[in-house]
Amino acid sequence: MMNKKTLFESLQQQGVTRRGFMKYCTALTSLMALPPSMIPIVANALESAKRPSVIWLSFQECTGCAESLLRSHSPTVEGLIFDHISLDYQHTLQAAAGDAAEHAREQAMKEHYGKYLVVVDGSIPLADPGYSTIAGISNLDMLNETVAGAAAVIAVGTCSAYGGLPMADPNPTGAVSVSSLVKDKPVINVPGCPPIPTVITGVLAHYLTFGSIPELDDLGRPKVFYGQSIHDRCYRRPFYDKGLFAETFDDEGAKKGWCLYRLGCKGPMTYNACATLKWNQQTSWPVESGHGCLGCSEPNFWDAGSFYKALSIPDGDYAKAAGYAVATGVALGAAAGFANQKTKSSAVSQHTKVTVDDFDMNKDKK
Amino acid sequence: MSSQALADIKVQVESNEYESGNLDSILSEIAFHLEQLLEQKKTHSIDLRAMPWSPGDEDKLEAYLGQGEIQIELNALGKSLFYETQYSGIWIVTHYNQEDEIIGKLIEITYMPEMVFSQKDDVKDSIERLKQY
Ligand code: SF4
Ligand code: SF4
Repeated sequence: MMNKKTLFESLQQQGVTRRGFMKYCTALTSLMALPPSMIPIVANALESAKRPSVIWLSFQECTGCAESLLRSHSPTVEGLIFDHISLDYQHTLQAAAGDAAEHAREQAMKEHYGKYLVVVDGSIPLADPGYSTIAGISNLDMLNETVAGAAAVIAVGTCSAYGGLPMADPNPTGAVSVSSLVKDKPVINVPGCPPIPTVITGVLAHYLTFGSIPELDDLGRPKVFYGQSIHDRCYRRPFYDKGLFAETFDDEGAKKGWCLYRLGCKGPMTYNACATLKWNQQTSWPVESGHGCLGCSEPNFWDAGSFYKALSIPDGDYAKAAGYAVATGVALGAAAGFANQKTKSSAVSQHTKVTVDDFDMNKDKK
Repeated sequence: MSSQALADIKVQVESNEYESGNLDSILSEIAFHLEQLLEQKKTHSIDLRAMPWSPGDEDKLEAYLGQGEIQIELNALGKSLFYETQYSGIWIVTHYNQEDEIIGKLIEITYMPEMVFSQKDDVKDSIERLKQY
C-alpha cells in the first residue's frame, strides 16, 4: 500500500508482456477459486492494485502452516504473490532478530497504519503469558498492539482460527483463537492443519486484488474455499450413496476405492477444499490416497474422538455439536480464567485416548 | 542420480464396476457452450483445476477430445500450450511456470483463445521500441 508502483507496473518493469500478465491473471483467478469469466475483472483490478504491507505473527504454533505455504513450490503464482506483497515482519523468516526485528514491525505499523494486513498462525495462551513470548512481549500484548492499526486479520491454520492443538483438552496453556480476542477488526479464518497452501495464497490474493475481504461463512471461513464439505465433493461419494464401504485398509473394498466412512472418515462434517484443489501441486489428497479425512479444518477436531472411529452422529446433529464447540471457544476468550477452568475439567472427563483397539475395525462386531 | 517424476509412477485404481459420470456431465456442458458459440458468439472457459475429478477422469476427457489440427506454444512467464481438440472450437489450454509445473489448465470454447492474439499494449510497446532504432 505504501509502495507506489502497482503490481502491473512492476511486472511490466520485469519485462512481462500483456500476454504474460493475462496468464498471471488466469492462474490467479483459478487460485482464488473464481470462475474463468472473472479473469478480465481480476486483470482490471490488478492494474491498479498496490502492494499491501503484511505483518505475520507466529504464536503457539508448530510452524507447519508457514511450512505448508513456503515449502510448497517456489517460483509459481504463489511465489509471484509474495513478490507483490511486502512481508515486513515474519520472525521465522526475517534475517533480523530481537530488537531489530521488533523495530521492523513497529516501523511497518507506523508507515501503514490502518492499512496493513496481519497474518497470525498459532493460538494465544491466556492461562499464563509466559507460555509464549516474543522479545519479552506476551502473545496477547503483541496481538492487541499489532491489530490496533490493521485493516484486517487473517488467522492461518486451525490453531489461530479455532484454538487447534494447543486448545485441545486439557488445554494446559489456556489457549484461545484470534477471533475470540479480536472483536473490532474483520477476522478471516483460514483453518486446516495445515491449510492448503493455495488456499492461504488465494485469500491473500483476494485481498491484494480486490482490496476487500471475501465472503465468509458463519465460522469466519471464505466461502469460495470452505463452502462445501469434503463429502459433497468427494469422488468416493457414489460408493457412500450405494452403501459400499471399506471395512479395513486392505480389504477388497479398500482396493476397489470404496467409501472410507467406516474407517473414520470425517468428510461429512468437514468443510475444506481438499477434494478439488488437492495437495502437493494437485497430485492427490488424503481420501484419494486411501485414508479418511481427519476433519482438520473444523473447530475442536483434536477432541472429536479417534480418527478411526466412524462418525456416529448424522450430519445435522454434528454441525450443531461443532457450533456449540465454537460458542465455548468464544466464551473462553471473554472470561478466560474461570470459564477456562470449567471447560478444562469437563474436557478431561470427555477425553478419549486413541488405543490400539481403535485400529481394529472389527472390534464393534465382536 | 536419476529422478522420477510423480506422473511416471503408474497408479492403477482397481475399479471397473464404477464410472464417475463426470465425463458425461462435462461433455454435455461443453456441447451446450459450443452451440452458444455458434449461435450467439459467446465464448466460455472451464477451469479444469476446479473439478472434483475421480482419479483418471481428466486423462479420459483429454483422450476423448483428442488432438486436432493446430497447436500453439507461448513463452511468457514459462510455457503455455494451446491446442484445438478434434472437436473444432474446443481448445485445451495449459499454463506452466518457469519450473514447468502446471499453474492453470482450462478448456476454452472459442474460435481462437484470446491470449493468442497480439495484445494492444504489447503492440504499443513494439512501436516505441521500433522508433528507438
Ligand atoms: S470417503 Fe469420506 S468424504 Fe468420501 S464419500 Fe466416504 S465418507 Fe464421504
Ligand atoms: S482431507 Fe480432511 S483432514 Fe485431510 S487435509 Fe483435508 S480437511 Fe484436513
